[in-house]
Amino acid sequence: MASAAIPRPRRRPPPFRTVSRSLLLTSPIALWALLMFTPVFRSPGRNAHLGAVVVILFMTTLFFLMMRTGKTYRWRRCFFVALGFLFPVGFIASLIHLRGSMSLSLEHMLGGDTPFCHMVIPMALIPAALTRTVIFPGSILPTATNPHSIAIMLGLWLAFTLVLGKAWCSYACFFGGIEEGFAAMPKHIRIRKIDPRLRLVPWALLIAVAVLSAALFEPVYCRWLCPFKTVTEFQRVTSVQTAMQMAIFVSLFIGLVVVLPFLTKKRTQCGFFCPFGAFQSLFNRINLFEIRFDRDKCVDCTLCRTSCPTMALSAESIREGRTLLNCMKCGACVDSCKKNAAVWHLKGTPVAVKPERARLLFLYGAWGLATMLGGSILENSLATLIGFLPLR
Amino acid sequence: MRTRWLTVLAYMGAAISLIVAASTPFVLLGAFANAVATTGVHVDAVYSGGAIARTVIRDGYQIDVNHPVHPHALQDVDPFVQIAFRPASSLPRHVKDEVDLDGDGQADVRVSFTVPSDPNARLAGEVIALNAKYRSFRTPGSEPSFSELIARSGDTVLVRVPLNEPH
Amino acid sequence: MAVLSVATNAAEALMLGLATGPVCLASCGPVVLPWALIQPQGLRTHARQMSIFLGARLAGYLVFASLLWLAGALVARTWSERSWIFGAVQVLLAVGLLIYAAGWPHAHCVVARTHPSRLVQIAEPGPQPHPAGALTLGFLTGINLCPPFLAAGVRAAQLPSLPAAWFFFTLFFAGTAVWFIPFLSLGLVRRTPSFLTVARMVAVLLACWYGFTGASLLIEKAIYG
Repeated sequence: MASAAIPRPRRRPPPFRTVSRSLLLTSPIALWALLMFTPVFRSPGRNAHLGAVVVILFMTTLFFLMMRTGKTYRWRRCFFVALGFLFPVGFIASLIHLRGSMSLSLEHMLGGDTPFCHMVIPMALIPAALTRTVIFPGSILPTATNPHSIAIMLGLWLAFTLVLGKAWCSYACFFGGIEEGFAAMPKHIRIRKIDPRLRLVPWALLIAVAVLSAALFEPVYCRWLCPFKTVTEFQRVTSVQTAMQMAIFVSLFIGLVVVLPFLTKKRTQCGFFCPFGAFQSLFNRINLFEIRFDRDKCVDCTLCRTSCPTMALSAESIREGRTLLNCMKCGACVDSCKKNAAVWHLKGTPVAVKPERARLLFLYGAWGLATMLGGSILENSLATLIGFLPLR
Repeated sequence: MRTRWLTVLAYMGAAISLIVAASTPFVLLGAFANAVATTGVHVDAVYSGGAIARTVIRDGYQIDVNHPVHPHALQDVDPFVQIAFRPASSLPRHVKDEVDLDGDGQADVRVSFTVPSDPNARLAGEVIALNAKYRSFRTPGSEPSFSELIARSGDTVLVRVPLNEPH
Repeated sequence: MAVLSVATNAAEALMLGLATGPVCLASCGPVVLPWALIQPQGLRTHARQMSIFLGARLAGYLVFASLLWLAGALVARTWSERSWIFGAVQVLLAVGLLIYAAGWPHAHCVVARTHPSRLVQIAEPGPQPHPAGALTLGFLTGINLCPPFLAAGVRAAQLPSLPAAWFFFTLFFAGTAVWFIPFLSLGLVRRTPSFLTVARMVAVLLACWYGFTGASLLIEKAIYG
């Protein structure tokens, strides 16, 4: 008598790594996080201490999960989205504390109080190279009222860029997490067809704003096109021109940062608009870390192309075993590939040979810097939020 | 052989990346900031007001007169001279002063303004040009601009007098 | 004595052009850049097109200088009506850039040249792009009353005759033209379809800027006089 086949319950695949090994690999990050926040614990402020504890646990846990599961993208996204949504909280709070409002007046610009933003860098290069003049109303060195000076932010950017290339856009940029959050919300993609030529818009914007900024000696993108003015600081609206600028900022924010990411599940502002992103792409050429494709394993299922948030993969590039220059090294393609064809790679080493080693080396640098920069922003914002709570 | 050497170099490069990342907050950032400062890179004078040309001492406060600032390229700013009254906390409530801007011993402008008790409040005042080289203005009046203002910045009252040059 | 005077004026014109060239570059660079990017690859082709552009620009300088000289208006450095001309020229430049970005008059030439086998090499003269674009945009930048042009105009108005003013302007133009030489290097950049798409997008973006600036000037002039 034949027995009916009993369907076996589907087994979850085993974790990538054991708990003990994952903890061992996480320990340097935990120590690093403790080291980064030691000055916070040494200074008074219960809210800041609480914020620091939360951030240390948060960053360490996420890294542990990266090690345990072997996945990068979804845990990195947790940090990045938190950074994107919490940064405005702390930033706006500090603006209101220092100035009484989010708006930037002429008086504040004269005092060199404007915190330097990395988006200015490509616009400021030509004037700085030709005249040693920085076209930004900040201060070169940190002051009591402006710790985010030009030299400090430039140094942070340089360190990140040398170590990570365009991974700045996945681990450091405190704006990109907002649209990544909105892109993650819906379950299904509502707009699938996106013209690949839109990937070229950031390059055109980069050239245009760099040229105009050099001609007009002002940061044109910041004055006219930055969507994130909506959630940070903006010039006080006192004229038709400033009103127009505000309207442009808000429209671009709603369109590129909220609506389109929601409909396309792509980082539309980052991938199809941001000129700083195009500028940062240039550094992918010299950076050691990249994502490659093992052509022997790839079955052209296009899961990687669908998962990429900035369309940094084309059929042609995958045939060549590479990503396009605008790859942000977020890890989405690697995590989505079912054949392990998409791999982390250290330039100069054979492709797909010990890719996990390349991933680890990349992640230690990326997460270390993310803990330093993004972690401190998160701690500051959390301390601000905790301050609103009615705790004794 | 070549692959092996490349691999060794690659891992050395990765190690250096990690060292750069680890030393950034402790060593590199400070050194870099100081290096930037020594290059002579400076914030655009349209924002900073330019370099101080001379200081005039008054009773209880001083006036810093800066060198004239001329716009770069197509910058949409009129040329101006900045004068700074400091410290603002020691200024009399109503300030009226004649200032020599070009160092020829003759007063060029008459500056008058009222210092409000609230440091965040806007200043009201006027600048009267005593010769054709400068332009008079009053505030609050038209939209303040980088080349024409009386404003408080920290513990300093800044006055920017536009030059009467075509632009 | 006359020779010395001519030589002095010539030197002055040249030095004025060289000194104010960066402002000229700031004023005209946003037009020249997208135009140069859309040109086909090839140093010789670029040099030829740039010569046409600069020649048309000089023609614009001389035509406008003549008109102003005859009207006696060169002396008025703060000539209030120049805003009308400045605004109108900015709008025309925007239109010119938009037309250029849309692919006229050279679409068939450039598209053919994007094919790798048809790319023009440095030493090999290939089919020439239509000069209409260079002539139009060059002339418009020549009548774009930028500050250096006005400064030269004031000086030239003090010269005894119109030919002397033309001579002054031509040497002044030569001084400013030196600053455009680096644009020739764009001829060496490989033209791929992506590159040309970016170049066209840049042209559209800068056209938007010129159009906005010009329209704002005209509206402001119309309202406030």
